[in-house]
Amino acid sequence: MENNFTPTELVALVNQTLEYAYSAVLLTGEVASFKVNQEKWVFFDIKDEESSISCFMPVWSLRMPLEDGMKVVVRGTPKLTRWGKFSFTATAVQPVGEGSLKKAFELLKKKLSGEGLFDINKKRPIPADLTRLGVISSTQAAGYHDFIKIINARWGGMKVYTAHTQVQGMDAPDQIMRALKYFNERGDVQMIAILRGGGSADDLSCFNDEALVRAIAASKIPVITGIGHEVDETLCDLAADVRASTPSNAAEMLTPDREEEMIKVYRALKQCHQTILQKAEWAQNENASKVKKVSQGLISKYIEPMLKSNADKMQYALQKVQSECENAQNMIFNKLRLLEALNPEKILRQGYAILTGKVSPGDVVKITTFKQEIKAEVKEIYDRKI
Amino acid sequence: MTEKYKTLNQKIEELDNQVEWFYSDDFKLDQATEKYKKATKLAKEIDVDLKNLKNEIEILAEDFSK
Repeated sequence: MENNFTPTELVALVNQTLEYAYSAVLLTGEVASFKVNQEKWVFFDIKDEESSISCFMPVWSLRMPLEDGMKVVVRGTPKLTRWGKFSFTATAVQPVGEGSLKKAFELLKKKLSGEGLFDINKKRPIPADLTRLGVISSTQAAGYHDFIKIINARWGGMKVYTAHTQVQGMDAPDQIMRALKYFNERGDVQMIAILRGGGSADDLSCFNDEALVRAIAASKIPVITGIGHEVDETLCDLAADVRASTPSNAAEMLTPDREEEMIKVYRALKQCHQTILQKAEWAQNENASKVKKVSQGLISKYIEPMLKSNADKMQYALQKVQSECENAQNMIFNKLRLLEALNPEKILRQGYAILTGKVSPGDVVKITTFKQEIKAEVKEIYDRKI
Repeated sequence: MTEKYKTLNQKIEELDNQVEWFYSDDFKLDQATEKYKKATKLAKEIDVDLKNLKNEIEILAEDFSK
């Protein structure tokens, strides 16, 4: 039995069937006839060697720059319009293939760079006392396990909250954005780490999603990225506050090494000990120097003047003593000379004699000469004529 | 934050401050031994913390796919 439909009924039926059979389709091909209408709607064709399908989407759903010739994968649903034309309503577009990825990357980089999203002056450092960390990654990913293993080996005492999201594919940007929003609203982590191990350029292309890059740049909480390998650079890396080359590198940047830290601690203590010894030695030398200085001060202030004064006095006294000695000596000498002159022996030596005894005629007297003593009798006494 | 609940980083920062005293103008030889003993005690605490402290990892129950 043949079915009889009105155009509206047939369009509705076809769309119902399409929705049932192809609710989510990925369409891969080359972009052609790309245009934006009234800054609201995006129109383009996806074509291969033989066929071409018209696509459209709201402009806000387009999260990468598009140009004709780029190879992309488009997610959407096929639809029949009320004018009977086949159309593909796109919900997401991602570049595929090295050339398109590079082209999209460069175009978006230029645009966002011009808006200052990658401004180096806006970068915030890793908090010094990091104890609460938010992690956005796939808990099944090897990169995430490497990260956890390294932070546990290096450090302790941190609370790590992991938001499990996809880290590749078309859904990844939205999931990561939701996790970013969650941590920002929660507000109790000090840093957010977005982690994803190595992969192909296609695998990492979700980290060049414009909305995600903007969300990272706008995050109130500082963000560190550890995406891919050393050589990989994504726009999320450029927008993040800190870029680590890999998840393992992010772990190293976020945590100090406990062994190195302990060495530092004991080295600091050793230096303190040496400082004490050194300063004690300085103090000893300084005290010795002070004592010397003080004693020199005392000597020059009190002892030396006293000595000088005493020396003067002593000199005066000495001179006085000397003078008195000389006087006494002279006096003694004179007296000695006088005595010497009066010495009877000296008189006797000159030939004189000393007469002793009663001098009366008939008396015996003693006459002493220099060499002899003579007893003589007084015969006569008479006066000398002088 | 009380002494009991100081984090490892806070203890390390405190030790840094204590060590800094030895190089500052505040240094006094008669206080140095006491300060050194205090720093050594804190260093030992840090050593124990570094050996024993573990990170706490929590996988959030929230579903971010929707």
